[in-house]
Amino acid sequence: MAGTVLENLSGRKLFVLTSILVICQIVCFLIGGLIAPAPSRATTMLATKCLDPEANRNKWLYPRGPASKTCRVIEHLESDNPFTADNIVFAFQIPFAKENVILDYTRWQQNLIGILQLEIRYSKESPVVPDAQLMIDARLAYRNDNETEWKLYAESMEVRTLDCEIDEPKEGYNYNCGLIPLFELGSLHHDFYLINIRLPAPAHQIYNKGIGILEDIHLVTIHQNGGFTKVWFSLKTIFTPLVLFVLVWYWQRVKAQGRPPALLEKLILFLGVAIEFLNLPIEWLTLFIDMPYMLLIGDIRQGIFYAALLSFWLVFTGEHLMESSGDKNTLHTYWKHLSAVAVGCVALFLFDLCERGAHVANPFYSLWATPVGTRLALGLIIAAGISASLYFIFLSWMVWRVFRNISAKRTALPAMSAVRRMHYQGIIYRFKFLMLTTLACAAMTVIGFILGQVTEDKWKWDGEVDIEYTSAFYTGVYGMWNIYAMALLSLYAPSHKRWPPERDPYANTNSGTEEIEFTRLEPDTSEISALASFAKKVAAD
Amino acid sequence: MAVTPTVSVLIVVIGFTLMILVGSMVPQSSARIPRGRGRGSKWWGIAKVGEPNNLIVNTIRGGANIGNNYLEPAVQAVLRKKQQRLVRENRGVLEAIAKGANEAIVECKHQFKNRRWNCPTKSFWRGKNLFGKIVEKGCRESSFIYAMTSAAVTHSVVRACSEGSIESCTCDYRLHNKYTRVMTPEQNWKWGSCSDNIEFGYKFSRDFVDAGEKAREMRGTMNLHNNEAGRIHVQSLMKRQCKCHGMSGSCTMQTCWMRLPHLREVGNSIKDKFDGASRVQISNAGILRDVGRGGRGRYKFQLKPYNPDHKPPTKKDLVFYEDSPNFCERDPRYGVSGTYGRACNVSSMGVDGCDLMCCGRGYTISVKQVVERCKCTFQWCCQVECKNCTVTRTFYTCK
Repeated sequence: MAGTVLENLSGRKLFVLTSILVICQIVCFLIGGLIAPAPSRATTMLATKCLDPEANRNKWLYPRGPASKTCRVIEHLESDNPFTADNIVFAFQIPFAKENVILDYTRWQQNLIGILQLEIRYSKESPVVPDAQLMIDARLAYRNDNETEWKLYAESMEVRTLDCEIDEPKEGYNYNCGLIPLFELGSLHHDFYLINIRLPAPAHQIYNKGIGILEDIHLVTIHQNGGFTKVWFSLKTIFTPLVLFVLVWYWQRVKAQGRPPALLEKLILFLGVAIEFLNLPIEWLTLFIDMPYMLLIGDIRQGIFYAALLSFWLVFTGEHLMESSGDKNTLHTYWKHLSAVAVGCVALFLFDLCERGAHVANPFYSLWATPVGTRLALGLIIAAGISASLYFIFLSWMVWRVFRNISAKRTALPAMSAVRRMHYQGIIYRFKFLMLTTLACAAMTVIGFILGQVTEDKWKWDGEVDIEYTSAFYTGVYGMWNIYAMALLSLYAPSHKRWPPERDPYANTNSGTEEIEFTRLEPDTSEISALASFAKKVAAD
Repeated sequence: MAVTPTVSVLIVVIGFTLMILVGSMVPQSSARIPRGRGRGSKWWGIAKVGEPNNLIVNTIRGGANIGNNYLEPAVQAVLRKKQQRLVRENRGVLEAIAKGANEAIVECKHQFKNRRWNCPTKSFWRGKNLFGKIVEKGCRESSFIYAMTSAAVTHSVVRACSEGSIESCTCDYRLHNKYTRVMTPEQNWKWGSCSDNIEFGYKFSRDFVDAGEKAREMRGTMNLHNNEAGRIHVQSLMKRQCKCHGMSGSCTMQTCWMRLPHLREVGNSIKDKFDGASRVQISNAGILRDVGRGGRGRYKFQLKPYNPDHKPPTKKDLVFYEDSPNFCERDPRYGVSGTYGRACNVSSMGVDGCDLMCCGRGYTISVKQVVERCKCTFQWCCQVECKNCTVTRTFYTCK
């Protein structure tokens, strides 16, 4: 690969460009921290226990609405009641009314996850048996503002394993039960939703036996916040044309070289296209069309970007090994390393297809609910994990080899001819620059992620300004990888400047132009650089 | 209900006259109490409103159905002006308070079932204090009652909010932030969703339960502190739970929420504090900075421990300033009936043991054959199947 823009950029220009990118990065962080609310929010709600005297599964029961149509409420379940399991319906009508205003969902809220929490009382005679199977007959309906009737959205008979513990097994104390994932809606297209849950007690079956004394059911719903979606969409919409512009510029630069593009150039292009694909704000369509497959598409887009990024790092390190003497490398050279990326991505893709893909058809589906599914899911995740560790071993090994070669080449540098020296110095500089940037980006992502796990969601400064940390992290990281890709595209594009001819090594330093090359190299390693910096000083005077 | 309309009308009429009578009696009785028990305790009566004629359901349901501006006189009689306003402004909250008060009674009885004072309550509500005259003394038992009732109301209101039965629970997604105050609840919800219900429950309980307590009086300070302690127990026992929902369900995206504790946990925690309650100095009363009514300054007081070597009470500690009666003997001044006839545990060395429970008076042993419900199994749903077992039991009762 010939010289890139990076090496042919003066220190000042590089500084200005880096500053602009850092400012963009800070702006991205602050947009998330100051404007956007938390990315998502959980709402806990308690089931209304409705009495269904007809035991009619197809009837919708709801606690709020016109007085004549609301259901009859059962206060306590456990007292001796004359009805059976079929008569009891746990109803959730979401969202609630707050401050005497009836709230409704907006499409900006994007998606909805439902989790059940059971409140089970301990009793010595009927405890929760280990691995008790809960059979949930769940039905989901929707209604819009101007309608009166509830319409079926999805229904399913689901089996989940109950996982309950108790610290002090005493009468009247409650179990601590694990969360039971209930549904995942990829689109929040309608205004109101209604969930009716029945726990049938089929005779001669293990389901819903030994589940203790069930008193109440809580439903935790998680949806994306409208404000966050707005900020997120805006960010995507701004980045799309920016990245596209840099991408087009980059490819024209490569084309202008009048030679077939090098492997690394193709990979940078692939990375650029991947992030452009990730940026493409097709989410705007969710405001008009019901797109329950949006979560899956989002995952695929992210997956492609990560695959591109990982492959790029690998190939970049490989191309800077300085071992082979410049023969044309192709993707085949890296097939061993890249297959780790491919296997990991395919495993995750299959897992995603089984979990989120299935949610498109049945939002109540869970891969983890059955033993076979659990094994499949675990197998895929383990495969992805193994290939991830393999990948990192490969990468670390190659980086180590590059560093070994760098130190070897550095001792040999003074003895080389000027062009060879510049070639190697260029390679070392390019490699170190990307290494440093990548490490900084990765470290920031990891530190940010860990900070988010250990600290509160909100940071307070002087009690006046709230920094919504989680949102700031997401917008910050998103902006960071965009900026990273744009920097790569612009700095690693081939330079249109030619190397100085061998017989006149001082040509460019004497030319008097602003672009003095290689000034950032250690002056003591190279006579030219020392001379160059001297010449620069003179020029400045 | 098997009660015919005429009978129920009669009952209502009797109820009304009773209320009027009570209403005229109350100011005199409260004036008689020298130091006063604080004024915020009458609302406990909601738990038993109309109990003699079992009107509880009708009264409270009726209050909610009829409309915003009407409260049953029975309810009016036990509530202060501010409390009435709060109940009128928050539809559905009355049921929650009544439920909370009843749960507090159940919890109190459970926590104290093995002690000399076993949290007796009056079975008939007659304008007297629900927990009897013991609350007139600033003793440990009162501190528990105040903390427990306040905690139970907080708990119950939060639960009612999450059931949707109170429709006025607040919705502001960024608490303590000025600029979101200008957004309507609708806008708040669509931009950043609503805050946890605990905030509403806490604030409501502060407004409702603490109404009428005066921080200037020693007793008022004690009540305010204990009420606050009860609420803080509810708040601090909330558990954080999280769900991962990032890419492919990984934890790159995570949402957490707070889960309300079971009231039993709250009761246990407050009972622990009862055992280690701090006795505070009475003289504090003079140095309180009671800034205005209901302001934040209302809760800014520092109680000094009675024993200067002890640490000052924390926000979660219960405080008292008077000795408890020993509850052994009948004492009509405090409505104590003594431990005569109480069952005791002969093998226990603790407070439920016969030595301590019977205050050294000795106990009687009786052996009886009893028929009990036993081996009850609960089948989902709703069939409790029990057997009747005849067992020989030995009863130890205090003389």
